[in-house]
Amino acid sequence: MKATVDEMETAAEPTEKTLLAPADGKKQRRISPLASVQLSVFLMTLMAATILLGAWCPQEAQVGQEKVFEAFDRPTAEFLVRAGITDIFHSPWFLTITALMTVNMVVVSFQRVFPKLKSYNREMPFFGGKEIGKLACNRKIDLRAGSQTAVLGQLTAALTRLGYKVKFSQGQGLKAEFGRLGRLAPTVTHIGLLSLLTGITITSWTGFNGFRPVLLEESLNFDDAKHASLWIGKMPAWTVKVVSTRRENYPTGEAKQWFSVLSVLDKDGKVLKTQEISVNNPLSYEGVDIYQSSWGLDQLVVSFNGQKRKLGLNSMGQKYAAFLPLDTDTVLIMSLSSEGKELRVFAKRKEWEAPKLLGVVPLGRTLKLGGVDMVFEKVLPVTGLQYKCDPGLPVTYGAFLIIMVGVLLASIPHRHLWCAIESEGESQALFIGGTSRKAKVGFERSLDKLIEDLGPFKEELK
Amino acid sequence: MTDLQMTLTNTAGVSSVMSLWVFIVSNFTGSKSRLKERSIKLGNWVMLIGFLCLSAAIITRGIEAERFPLSNLYESLLWFAWATMGGFIYVSRAYGIYQLGWLASLTAIIFFFYGNCLPQSQHDIMPLVPALVSYWRWIHVPPLIVSYAMFFLAGLSGLLNLYQSGRKVTLGIMILTIAMASTAIGLGTFSDKVEVYILQLMFVGSSLVGTVLGFLSLKKVDAAKSAETEAVKRAAMYDDVGYRCVAVGFPLLTFGIITGGLWANHAWGSYWSWDPKESMALVTWLSYAAYIHLRIQRELSAEKLSVVAVLGLLLTLLTYLGFNSLGFGGLHSYGKIK
Repeated sequence: MKATVDEMETAAEPTEKTLLAPADGKKQRRISPLASVQLSVFLMTLMAATILLGAWCPQEAQVGQEKVFEAFDRPTAEFLVRAGITDIFHSPWFLTITALMTVNMVVVSFQRVFPKLKSYNREMPFFGGKEIGKLACNRKIDLRAGSQTAVLGQLTAALTRLGYKVKFSQGQGLKAEFGRLGRLAPTVTHIGLLSLLTGITITSWTGFNGFRPVLLEESLNFDDAKHASLWIGKMPAWTVKVVSTRRENYPTGEAKQWFSVLSVLDKDGKVLKTQEISVNNPLSYEGVDIYQSSWGLDQLVVSFNGQKRKLGLNSMGQKYAAFLPLDTDTVLIMSLSSEGKELRVFAKRKEWEAPKLLGVVPLGRTLKLGGVDMVFEKVLPVTGLQYKCDPGLPVTYGAFLIIMVGVLLASIPHRHLWCAIESEGESQALFIGGTSRKAKVGFERSLDKLIEDLGPFKEELK
Repeated sequence: MTDLQMTLTNTAGVSSVMSLWVFIVSNFTGSKSRLKERSIKLGNWVMLIGFLCLSAAIITRGIEAERFPLSNLYESLLWFAWATMGGFIYVSRAYGIYQLGWLASLTAIIFFFYGNCLPQSQHDIMPLVPALVSYWRWIHVPPLIVSYAMFFLAGLSGLLNLYQSGRKVTLGIMILTIAMASTAIGLGTFSDKVEVYILQLMFVGSSLVGTVLGFLSLKKVDAAKSAETEAVKRAAMYDDVGYRCVAVGFPLLTFGIITGGLWANHAWGSYWSWDPKESMALVTWLSYAAYIHLRIQRELSAEKLSVVAVLGLLLTLLTYLGFNSLGFGGLHSYGKIK
């Protein structure tokens, strides 16, 4: 049975209309305006423009509002804050676009993408010379008499080598298909995107996160954790104690890695787990992950003639320094490196150009400053701990994997090719043609190569 | 940097310059002459030599540094030039193209030159900051750099499609737009005299205006050029080449974004934090997702798709170099030189 040209084209690369049209000729199902591809592209453009704006303007949620005022003059910063651009990813505008994109994606998935799966196993009909001649890419070659079997044999071998699946018709023809898996790309990608939405929703409803700088021997709890307003999760009852923390340096003095030994403690102080963490190596306990996020020396403890004094340390490049005003003109400056093993003590008076070194004192030792004994008691490091609980993560990771597979499948071009050998008077003609929506020129070139290899059988190329 | 590494890098740079000239000469020979065929072959060979030298230079740098050699702007530029040359060799084998050759060589030269002008501290092998001490670095970064190079080649193919289809006004506008955007990045990297907002405006403004004007000017067609059968065939071929580059680049970008999310989650406990660079990578991803939808679902004309591909090139440029050179902050500041 010969198919019409319209049927042929749709068979080769099924269009939305024919795919959604029931095979028994019932009226075609109506597609919602929300499933429009134009709407998808329009929303993608709006989303991209909004994200671009958010990437350009410092975001309060990441860097705080003060950075906005640092980056712009006051009137501009105030305008940006009022317009919601400084927190654009939580603005009604962005949430509306996200909601619209979600609806669009769900409707597109169920009305356009998933129904195409029904046609995945649909067999394409065999085409005759007339139908092949109407395909977008087609050739006609006059063959030598009696060469049809050899021609079809050679074409079959060549197409099989190229990865096509070849089938013969009862008469003198064949059909071949390449990259059928590629047709699954939209379905797989959309399943991945919908799974991603599911994962994000689970995280939003049940997850929490936060950051806390914790001093040595102090504990982290989750009282100030952040979570969504619509939240049905549960906070852990246990806490995390910083047992020790240190910094590892390169020989040049720059930070190579930060380490903290953490112990998970229950309500009664019983140790449930102990682990050393570092950047890129977190601690995980009951679904909560604790990350080494930053590190520094926070406080210096010294004593003057037996009287202890805690001084705040400031980061000064590779050194830390504490400042102790002695009177209106004199400041005692104490500096130390990140190892915290040796304290350098300086004095600076207004009239001096540079501070004067008074002495160097190792940890636990005494430095005589006139009539005062100054003891370098200890240094308190602070470790920056980031924590998060993300119950939707397995679904999200699964979605990432599915999206990757879908995107990889999309790079496979789906091609159909038909051949028919027909008698025209005393001579015979080979009609060969096909369709490839993604890489047409590449397909045409492969077709021409097939024909070129048929040289010995050709009578004349028209 | 060892002498061997410097020699290999310089050889790759010189090879790019040589292949550029050979490809340019091939454009002025007869359309089917033997000289043209030979010069194209020579150009491809010179490019291949450059590619191999650069591969060796990157490997020796890795051996010298005792780590994966992709941790600062200079090293990423070497990778970008390597991927551009490799990408061209890949598509030229499939299509036998030649005009793209000189554009690919020119791109590699510009990036070599850009890398060469960076301060010595970028050329020197420096220790890694704690956040970069991870196996994720070689999983996350190379696919992104290769995807950027493929998107560049797609954009360049778009320019050639516009030329072959007789859209010379559009071509002029798009070239001017790319030049403006590149100038903004160059000034942002090497000059402190121009205000950062002016540079941002220069980049984003010219890209926006250029793209809109590019679309509007598509109706202006050089009738003589568009009537040439050969030109029409070449235009279709460059459209195909552009799509093939996107078909390679898009999965790599997706992989790069996803692995970036996995790394961020592993290191900081959050796979997405709307950091400027990751946001920009998402914008680029969305633009190519739109390109693919427009191509497959809407069957947009090759010329319109070419303008979209050039817009993609501009967004790629902004993602890759713009965010560090035009004063955007964020977690991905390792590429900053100031």
